[in-house]
Amino acid sequence: MASRKEGTGSTATSSSSTAGAAGKGKGKGGSGDSAVKQVQIDGLVVLKIIKHYQEEGQGTEVVQGVLLGLVVEDRLEITNCFPFPQHTEDDADFDEVQYQMEMMRSLRHVNIDHLHVGWYQSTYYGSFVTRALLDSQFSYQHAIEESVVLIYDPIKTAQGSLSLKAYRLTPKLMEVCKEKDFSPEALKKANITFEYMFEEVPIVIKNSHLINVLMWELEKKSAVADKHELLSLASSNHLGKNLQLLMDRVDEMSQDIVKYNTYMRNTSKQQQQKHQQENMQRQSRGEPPLPEEDLSKLFKPPQPPARMDSLLIAGQINTYCQNIKEFTAQNLGKLFMAQALQEYNN
Amino acid sequence: MSRFFTTGSDSESESSLSGEELVTKPVGGNYGKQPLLLSEDEEDTKRVVRSAKDKRFEELTNLIRTIRNAMKIRDVTKCLEEFELLGKAYGKAKSIVDKEGVPRFYIRILADLEDYLNELWEDKEGKKKMNKNNAKALSTLRQKIRKYNRDFESHITSYKQNPEQSADEDAEKNEEDSEGSSDEDEDEDGVSAATFLKKKSEAPSGESRKFLKKMDVRARDEDEDSEDSEDDEDWDTGSTSSDSDSEEEEGKQTALASRFLKKAPTTDEDKKAAEKKREDKAKKKHDRKSKRLDEEEEDNEGGEWERVRGGVPLVKEKPKMFAKGTEITHAVVIKKLNEILQARGKKGTDRAAQIELLQLLVQIAAENNLGEGVIVKIKFNIIASLYDYNPNLATYMKPEMWGKCLDCINELMDILFANPNIFVGENILEESENLHNADQPLRVRGCILTLVERMDEEFTKIMQNTDPHSQEYVEHLKDEAQVCAIIERVQRYLEEKGTTEEVCRIYLLRILHTYYKFDYKAHQRQLTPPEGSSKSEQDQAENEGEDSAVLMERLCKYIYAKDRTDRIRTCAILCHIYHHALHSRWYQARDLMLMSHLQDNIQHADPPVQILYNRTMVQLGICAFRQGLTKDAHNALLDIQSSGRAKELLGQGLLLRSLQERNQEQEKVERRRQVPFHLHINLELLECVYLVSAMLLEIPYMAAHESDARRRMISKQFHHQLRVGERQPLLGPPESMREHVVAASKAMKMGDWKTCHSFIINEKMNGKVWDLFPEADKVRTMLVRKIQEESLRTYLFTYSSVYDSISMETLSDMFELDLPTVHSIISKMIINEELMASLDQPTQTVVMHRTEPTAQQNLALQLAEKLGSLVENNERVFDHKQGTYGGYFRDQKDGYRKNEGYMRRGGYRQQQSQTAY
Repeated sequence: MASRKEGTGSTATSSSSTAGAAGKGKGKGGSGDSAVKQVQIDGLVVLKIIKHYQEEGQGTEVVQGVLLGLVVEDRLEITNCFPFPQHTEDDADFDEVQYQMEMMRSLRHVNIDHLHVGWYQSTYYGSFVTRALLDSQFSYQHAIEESVVLIYDPIKTAQGSLSLKAYRLTPKLMEVCKEKDFSPEALKKANITFEYMFEEVPIVIKNSHLINVLMWELEKKSAVADKHELLSLASSNHLGKNLQLLMDRVDEMSQDIVKYNTYMRNTSKQQQQKHQQENMQRQSRGEPPLPEEDLSKLFKPPQPPARMDSLLIAGQINTYCQNIKEFTAQNLGKLFMAQALQEYNN
Repeated sequence: MSRFFTTGSDSESESSLSGEELVTKPVGGNYGKQPLLLSEDEEDTKRVVRSAKDKRFEELTNLIRTIRNAMKIRDVTKCLEEFELLGKAYGKAKSIVDKEGVPRFYIRILADLEDYLNELWEDKEGKKKMNKNNAKALSTLRQKIRKYNRDFESHITSYKQNPEQSADEDAEKNEEDSEGSSDEDEDEDGVSAATFLKKKSEAPSGESRKFLKKMDVRARDEDEDSEDSEDDEDWDTGSTSSDSDSEEEEGKQTALASRFLKKAPTTDEDKKAAEKKREDKAKKKHDRKSKRLDEEEEDNEGGEWERVRGGVPLVKEKPKMFAKGTEITHAVVIKKLNEILQARGKKGTDRAAQIELLQLLVQIAAENNLGEGVIVKIKFNIIASLYDYNPNLATYMKPEMWGKCLDCINELMDILFANPNIFVGENILEESENLHNADQPLRVRGCILTLVERMDEEFTKIMQNTDPHSQEYVEHLKDEAQVCAIIERVQRYLEEKGTTEEVCRIYLLRILHTYYKFDYKAHQRQLTPPEGSSKSEQDQAENEGEDSAVLMERLCKYIYAKDRTDRIRTCAILCHIYHHALHSRWYQARDLMLMSHLQDNIQHADPPVQILYNRTMVQLGICAFRQGLTKDAHNALLDIQSSGRAKELLGQGLLLRSLQERNQEQEKVERRRQVPFHLHINLELLECVYLVSAMLLEIPYMAAHESDARRRMISKQFHHQLRVGERQPLLGPPESMREHVVAASKAMKMGDWKTCHSFIINEKMNGKVWDLFPEADKVRTMLVRKIQEESLRTYLFTYSSVYDSISMETLSDMFELDLPTVHSIISKMIINEELMASLDQPTQTVVMHRTEPTAQQNLALQLAEKLGSLVENNERVFDHKQGTYGGYFRDQKDGYRKNEGYMRRGGYRQQQSQTAY
């Protein structure tokens, strides 16, 4: 994972170099300050992402790539993409920035949109709300305001319904990240909670008419059996995995809270003691007790733990919960359906 | 210093002439105030403890002697060297000289040397002949001595005026002596220190000292035996004069001592003269006998001076056993013995020569029929010197020494057995020793037990230091029988004569040589019930020996009953347990271990006992395993194996890892603790036994608690091995023992007992492990059955959720167990609530209840629990914010706790309910 993080970091720097190009796109779109309201994805992009994962991703491994496209009014059109190459620790000197520039230049030569509008990433059971994602999406959005991250969930897709979601950081979170101050006070002031960290942008998949026609034709031809996954009643595995992950996150959360708790206790204890001591001294010298501000200047309070992590964990838990809710709801429906079918048959 | 050294023989070395025990005592207190005493002091050079004065003066006289030698051969260079050394030595002795006044012999040498140099200087012709070095040295030395002598001018002039007189005071009797005896002295200039010294060595050196001591001892030792009429007379003169004082002496010894000593010279003279006369007479008589010795003496005459120069004055008397014609009597032999012994432990003493001397002495004693007492005494000392031969504790005896030692002990035992009237003991005081009075029982100081214990130690050391894979080791190991035989003999001897303590000690030795040996004969006998007629004679002969089990029982019980020291009892009990375990008497071994309560307090014992304890525990574990008691085996081995330092804990080798951590000293100590190779427990066997028991326990447990988040590992090491196995990128067929066990575990996890069986028991494993057991086949049968049973359990745990019901017959077929066994296993599982099922008797099937929560349910329960703690933690944060207003939530929290009850409602798993909050 370390290499991956590094990878995303370097893409961020590369994206800033393409900022000029993106600015051009923005100017063309003229989309004002409320960046993007909708993401329109070409079928080609979806297929390419799926293909990428199928070829390279497995298990907890995630795949990542660059999205290309342009902004039209308040709509972000993603017209093409290319993957980040998988690379091992061995070829550490592989220059990702160089690679991206190279790719984009080549694509421009064949007259494809070459504007950097974000990135995509696969996910394992919806566990994508991580610090790495936050950091790299922040740098994207910092450099190219309208960039999005597409999260592709291969497991859900395998169950029969395509799961592709576009996320952006909320302006509030952007502010916080810009400040780089994740202390409890700062987050409180920013009034940010896990619900308002990411905003999902609605997605529309758009195909050309020719493709639509092809699809119609294929649908007629394809056997019914291909759709059976959707009706699969087996739920335990998926549910179990989700629960497991959820539990891990809850554990982390617990630890985080304990950490925070100790911090709180330490601070209050220190403050009380120091305050009393100082005031006693002052009293003995016949001076008035010090006001609170001076005291905190005098004594450095213990370093508060960064709260961003707990926010992220909370966000992740939220995602899991939604996943589970969604899944169970669907499954319940299926079960009822199956029951009805059985009664009908009998 | 070894224990041996400090107790047993040290006292012997100062031993045994009846009047002489107090050797050291008078020295410190009495000497040093009287310049008069000089001569006596000089004669005391052989003493173990000497006053500083003695030492310094001895140093000086040695140097002087060398100088005189050099003078004789006109080696001026040598003279110069020695003179410089002399000056230094004199400087060292300064403090004493200040007290005592300048010693006359020192003045004498200075004067003589100056004269001599002047003479040389005058002798122009001689000077020309001299080689360059010598000439140069001569001039240097001349200048030096001139300068040096300026400090002593007054002394020297007074000496030169009257050389005789000034020397008189202390040398009077020496002169007499020299006239009286030895021809060798005649070529010497009359009044030199060298003559004096030489003579001293000639004359039985104990004489005057003995006399001196006598006076002190008299007071205590009135019932002095009179062995030698001549001697006796002499002593009587001494004692009559001192007898009157002797009562008071007790009180103010030091004050009176000086009075004694003052008298000494007067009586001394008479005595010396008499002594000499006697000696002369004896010389003639025993001419023939000591001829050989005399020859040696003469041979060494010339070399004598050389040797002395090396600062080893003591060796000087080595070659002379007895002067020509000395009458060999008890007194003389023992005196000689003492002389030899006094050199013991001193720097520069030639230990090999000492041993030879002692052996010679034994011969002489034997030739002269001096009686067994003396021989025993000397033998004791020979053995002691053999042990002393190696000054270093770490090094071991050379094989020839070892052989000598064994022989010597055997001979000693022969004598002791042959002469039941000899009493040997370390508590027999020197003065009460009776070496030759045949009327009374002979009493000899010395401890046979200590000797044997030391012998055992040496044996261990030899074994430790021999490469265990060499032929040499086998050779050495053959000596073990001899060692055992000796121990047995000593045991028999002590059983008759020894105290209980001694018997306990020798029993322990015996036990230590018995406990680790597997008694094949007894084992055979057990296997083949007596058939009376068919028994061959050889068999009978073999069977006559006591069963080692009976022997152990007898020895150990004696120790349990009689021993007062905790250590011997602890060792005995451990050995007993070990022996039981080795012979598969598991229950006896276990009961003994539990009764001893050693497990609680073994950490206070010293390392060797702890090693023994570890060995015992391991043996106990292996024994349990052989009996099929997997759990006990695992528990017994857990401590040793979990540390990963089994090798070190069993004293079977040092770990490389910790080599850096400890320093040289520690390493030496640890090396000494190592158990000799023939006592080793096979580590691979140990590990295999441990891993297999862990597998038999852990795999079913893992299957039963697969979804339990809180399940604990039974054996960390086993898990570690499993993980190592999993990490392998490519799994080939197992090679090592560990790989075999891991592969078997994997098979067992699937309930596949046949594969598991083939992994555990096959050619490779047989060779590596199973064949090492005395009853290999029995163990293998047991193991197969265990594997079948545990596989069955694992199978039921793993796949019970798949079945609604399963017929026991099927199970019995699958695992090749008979129906009742399957029945009993399943019943046990049901009773222990491990398996939620019931038995349907008519159809012989197991009906699953399916009350086990599914994986999801389990997860959900765990999640709920975790959330519970999360909420609780969260509330604490809230408490902080709210201060004391958190009361509302506190109530809630309790409510929350109560609500948690629903999770445990089922009581479906004991562990869970135990650990939940």
